[in-house]
Formats: sequence, structure tokens, C-alpha cells
Amino acid sequence: MAAQRTPSQTIGPFFHEGLRWKDAEKVAFAETGQAIVLTGRVLDGAGEPVGDAMIETWQLSPRGRAPAAAAGASRPHGFARVETAKDGSFRIETLLPGGPAPFLDVAIFARGLLKPLRTRAYLAREEMVRADPALAAIAASPRIKTLVALSAGDNAYRWDVRLQGDGETVFFAA
Amino acid sequence: MNDMTRQDPVDPPYRYPEYRSTVLRAPREPLVALPPNALDIPGPFVPKGFVRDGESDLTAQGRSAPLGEKMILAGRLLDADGRPVRRSLVEIWQANASGRYHHPADVHEAPLDPNFHGVGRALTDDEGWYRFVTVKPGAYPWKNHPFAWRPQHIHFSLLGSAPVQRLVTQMYFPGDPLLAIDPVYNSVPDAAARLRMISTLALETGIEGIALGYRFDIVLAGAKATPLGP
Repeated sequence: MAAQRTPSQTIGPFFHEGLRWKDAEKVAFAETGQAIVLTGRVLDGAGEPVGDAMIETWQLSPRGRAPAAAAGASRPHGFARVETAKDGSFRIETLLPGGPAPFLDVAIFARGLLKPLRTRAYLAREEMVRADPALAAIAASPRIKTLVALSAGDNAYRWDVRLQGDGETVFFAA
Repeated sequence: MNDMTRQDPVDPPYRYPEYRSTVLRAPREPLVALPPNALDIPGPFVPKGFVRDGESDLTAQGRSAPLGEKMILAGRLLDADGRPVRRSLVEIWQANASGRYHHPADVHEAPLDPNFHGVGRALTDDEGWYRFVTVKPGAYPWKNHPFAWRPQHIHFSLLGSAPVQRLVTQMYFPGDPLLAIDPVYNSVPDAAARLRMISTLALETGIEGIALGYRFDIVLAGAKATPLGP
């Protein structure tokens, strides 16, 4: 029996206590791997920080597997949920996913977003990202750079998100 | 492929100028298609013990009962094939009976209720049912346009069983005259889809002499990853 989908609505400005999980900025796995830190900022079409967004990431494990059910864990494996600070910044600690062009699936929720924005933060060199078959539609586009996190020191990556305008991040159809 | 030209019949567009906050936050470039099922990896899986007993009763978070109309809110979480989404996380947050959120950014001049934080979570059971005990939230003014008031609503966050099912929505109440002037509600282009965000009065869901009952079923996108039922 088919059922009709419930529409999306904005998360609004008052979600913080409702959706805050303990330690959700540190991604848990059953496996060990290379620890990395991803930091960045979310900016709007005027270049102003988006200080009331929620970012969720979902990824493969260090061995390239789908994160399994987390028996005995304190939170779901492979998943981060963070709030942006007033200056639009966020920080996620995770393990480098497996695969030739590892990436985090990213969903952004905020006041003014009636449905989440979907994007990816690749933790790989640009030529590896351009070679990802999933991105064939934009393989030659200069915009693909917006999906590539920049190296910011040992095991540290920097990735800014521009919701609109100059340097607008590539967003995916859900 | 291009969200700005193709109107999704269920979800709102990103850019909806009547809701002012969308104007600088909606992307202008066309959305890029990913291969089908790119996001259809099952999970995230909420571990046992993640939701504690009592987190679904928002009226038991203070020293005594909160002000307001006590209500039982129950419904089923289903996928697009009408199958229950089992043991899945349901998170809610809401204003108190006066229309004020327990949140530092809410500076609306309505009283806080020390006995109401307005936050709850639950896991669906094997038939997809969830159930909360709460109070009916108040309407509140906001600065979107002159005399703007949000209709009474409860925010819902659903993890589903795979990222393609992820949904954040708002539940409204039947007969609310503020629905007609609310740009968030009216951002959904299809009238029938808008009605699916309105709960129904279900007296038998309540508790005789104690709490009103409301029913709100939620339908998530289909997911290839959704495990088939026995």
C-alpha cells in the first residue's frame, strides 16, 4: 500500500537542545583508523556566517564498509551531528573513510532552509575527486573544487560551505 | 535536476521569498544529480539504551506539572510503501503553552515555564508507533512580516532507516486560523501535501479526564535499504 510522503519543513532557530547528542562531534566506529579533524564555516549569500545551522555527516568506515549497528556504543557509528557557532564555524573529529576518493556525506539544516542541503566533503586530492564516477556530471566543472576539503596540517582539513553566490558550494538533488 | 525550475510536489522549494530567511540561504546554482542510491546506505543505527525511559514524557521534566493543555501525541512512522519504520529515532522540540521556547535565542516576551523544557525523544516500536506525553504549544509572534505569528506546532526530526529517509518537519493542529498566514506551512506547494502536516484530534488516544489525544502519522521517502518485514 503506497503512502504519500510528509513534507519537509525548516529546522528553525530553536533546535539546539532538542537535537543535541553527547559527543556527537566525535564520530564513533567499530574499527580503528586514521584520525582526522574537519573544520570549516558556513556562509550565506551575503558572505555572512550562518550561526544557527546543524550539520550531519555520514560516511563509510576506515575499511570502506557501511557502519554497522553499534552494539554497546553510546551513539550511532559513522555519524556526526554538530551545530555551527555564531561565527558559522563547525568542527568534526572522525576517521578517514576508506576508498580512493574518501568523502563525508553532508546534510545542512538551518532556519531559512525549508529542506536540508546535501553535499559532500572530499578528503582527497582534486584529481581523485574529479575521477569519482559519482561526480561524472561535474567532472570538468570548476565548481568541483567546492567539494574538496583543503589540507590544513597533519590530519587536519578545512572545508567552507557557501550556500549562495560567489563560490557557491555544489549541492546534490536528494 | 534543477530545483529552481522543477517544483517538487511534496517538499518546499529552497527559495520562498515569503519566508524571508530563505532569500540569502537558498542556492542559485542547479542541484547536481548523484547516481541513484548513492545515499541509500542503511543507518545510522541508534544503539540500545540511546533513548532512556521517560524521555518521551515532556510533562515529567520538572518538579511539577507544566502549564497548558496536557496531550498525548501518537502516530506511526511509515515508509513510502506504507511499511512501518521500526525502532527508529523520533525527536521533538516545541514551545511551551505560552509560546516560548526554552532557548537563549528566544526573546519573545512570554513566560518561561520552569517545569517545561519542550524536548523529547522516542523509538518507534515494531509497528512503527511512537508516543509522547506533552502540552499543547502556544502560538508566538516572529519578525518575518507585520503581525506574523507562527501557528501552534511541534518540530519533528526523523532519522529513518537510511539517509534518503532523513526528515525534519513540523506538525500543526487542526483548525488553526494562523495556518492561512504562515509562510513556512504554505511553502509546501501542494495543498494535499500541506494537510499531511496537520495532526488529527483523536480523543481515544488521550487519557479520559486527563489528556487530549492527537494522532500524527509520518511518511518518509522509500528506501531500498528498508528491511523487508517478516
